[in-house]
Amino acid sequence: MADVPADLPEAAGRRFADGAFTSALTVPDFAACLQLGLEPIGYVQGFCVMQWRWYGMGATFGPFGQFTGPGNRGWSENWPCPHGLVSAEHRGFGQNYEQSWIEDAWRQGFDAAYGRMVEEATSAGAHGVVGVVDASEPLGDLGVLEFRVQGTAVRVVGGRAPAGGRPWTTYLAGQRLAKSIEAGFAPVSIAAAVSSVRVWAYCVTEYLTEGSSPGWGYQVAATEIEQTARAHMAVRRIARDQVRSQLHGDSFHGASMVTRQRELGQGDAELQCTLRGNRVRRFKEFDPLPPPQPTVRLR
Amino acid sequence: MTAHPELEGAGPDPAVLKDEMRAAAEFLSRPPPSGRSSKGGGAPRTSDLSVDEEFALHSVGWEPIQLVCGVSLYSIPMGVWNWGQGEIGPASTAYARAFAAATHRIHRECTDVGGRGVVGVHIESEVHRHHVDVALVGTAVRAVGSKGPSADPVFVSDLSGRDFALLHASGWEPLGLAVGASFVYAPRRSAGMAIKQKSQNVELANFTEAMYSARESAMERMQRAALEMDGTGVVEVKVTEGPMGFARHAIGFTAYGTVVRLVAGRHRPLRPRMVLPVDDPVVRFEAAAIRGK
Repeated sequence: MADVPADLPEAAGRRFADGAFTSALTVPDFAACLQLGLEPIGYVQGFCVMQWRWYGMGATFGPFGQFTGPGNRGWSENWPCPHGLVSAEHRGFGQNYEQSWIEDAWRQGFDAAYGRMVEEATSAGAHGVVGVVDASEPLGDLGVLEFRVQGTAVRVVGGRAPAGGRPWTTYLAGQRLAKSIEAGFAPVSIAAAVSSVRVWAYCVTEYLTEGSSPGWGYQVAATEIEQTARAHMAVRRIARDQVRSQLHGDSFHGASMVTRQRELGQGDAELQCTLRGNRVRRFKEFDPLPPPQPTVRLR
Repeated sequence: MTAHPELEGAGPDPAVLKDEMRAAAEFLSRPPPSGRSSKGGGAPRTSDLSVDEEFALHSVGWEPIQLVCGVSLYSIPMGVWNWGQGEIGPASTAYARAFAAATHRIHRECTDVGGRGVVGVHIESEVHRHHVDVALVGTAVRAVGSKGPSADPVFVSDLSGRDFALLHASGWEPLGLAVGASFVYAPRRSAGMAIKQKSQNVELANFTEAMYSARESAMERMQRAALEMDGTGVVEVKVTEGPMGFARHAIGFTAYGTVVRLVAGRHRPLRPRMVLPVDDPVVRFEAAAIRGK
């Protein structure tokens, strides 16, 4: 076994040296991994706890980071009010903008946890990590977010170590991994991204979302809330673009896309889209599989 | 070897699988070639299909291309949820328009990536007091080997890859999503009627009628949408129904499903094999079990 990296707990090194393997695989997944020639080495994990505030990431951005923050980048679009100067309360200007500092902070936490898991697997001499699970959740009410990435480190019996010694990773395990290999897709890594878009509503969006009386002739019939709809499309597009930028020509399988909207009142909203899946690389031409046999289960 | 080879699964030979895994490891031990690293070339593909679904698609000659989505939010005019009679037309209209706009957008994304259709569409629809939100996320697919935009109309379907493959194998094709929604007031009972029924378990005819009315209107709209697509019928219909959380006197009923049409000369029967699973249901540990009864 290689030396344990300095930033890993000493116990991790002892655990791998003990002889018995640990894994989070279910029995069917365990059996399928053995069938594939994968030898479990140990349960590997990476954690990172980040301070998590919706605003002020990087300390250079105020609550109006899109206007004043020097480091914000990414997509934005403006929604000027069609009514002109009405009153001080009138929302004369709206904007949809990507909150790049939130995306960067998420990326930093996720990459740190992922890197630590891979580091642990590398130190155990693993070729890959299967059955990866990851989560990012608030840790109590401390205003912090904990990133967790865990999986089972495996070695390919009689197989060669991956390029650069860095183990491949996949959310798959068991029969699904076996099928993926059989069809010619080698796991490269998990891929994940978070995109964040803020909707700073202009007057029309506020009226339509809140059902308030505009007095400007709007709301006479069902009308599309175009600003929010475009923000929803954008947050999903940005997440997909970010994942594509991680693929380097490989394919992305088994994606899971989850979008959450946080209503902030008066039509304002914050959208966050999490996209994760498996980055795979074709290592042989596609073997056509036999047509699946329809079956009826008897009970 | 078992004494009953007919009971053995039809899975791959374990020795072959191990060779495949070693071949994959060998491939990954080499640095990725510059430019496109996947054999077979083409743009990087993204898909939210499971491995099983993807293989089911391949088995009938289709392949995933890109993850696509469509979202729309429509406002519901203020005051429409107040007490009234009959259908709450603006809410039903908002739902239908939001669905149509979201479908149009996922259609456009599918066309842009050269897809022939979208399968496995996850549909999220929420009705709020002042707006309806509809989000569709799925995977654009095309026939294996086809290039460029398709001349055939694009379909959007919430059928899984497995269901799409089964449908295809039996000679049918999906045409699109059909949607119907209706929101109806449950009319007030008279004061006398309310007092009379207060201590009795009797039918609340106003609610029964409202449910009937909403259900029939929504199903009729879905059916009409199927006919407009020149479909034979609708499969995998999902319905939601019940009083609205923010207006308990209003009943909502929504229904959507995939419109299908027979394209083969006639339906091709699948003739499924019967299997008797020998696996037990997953037994989970229960902490109380260690104390005994």
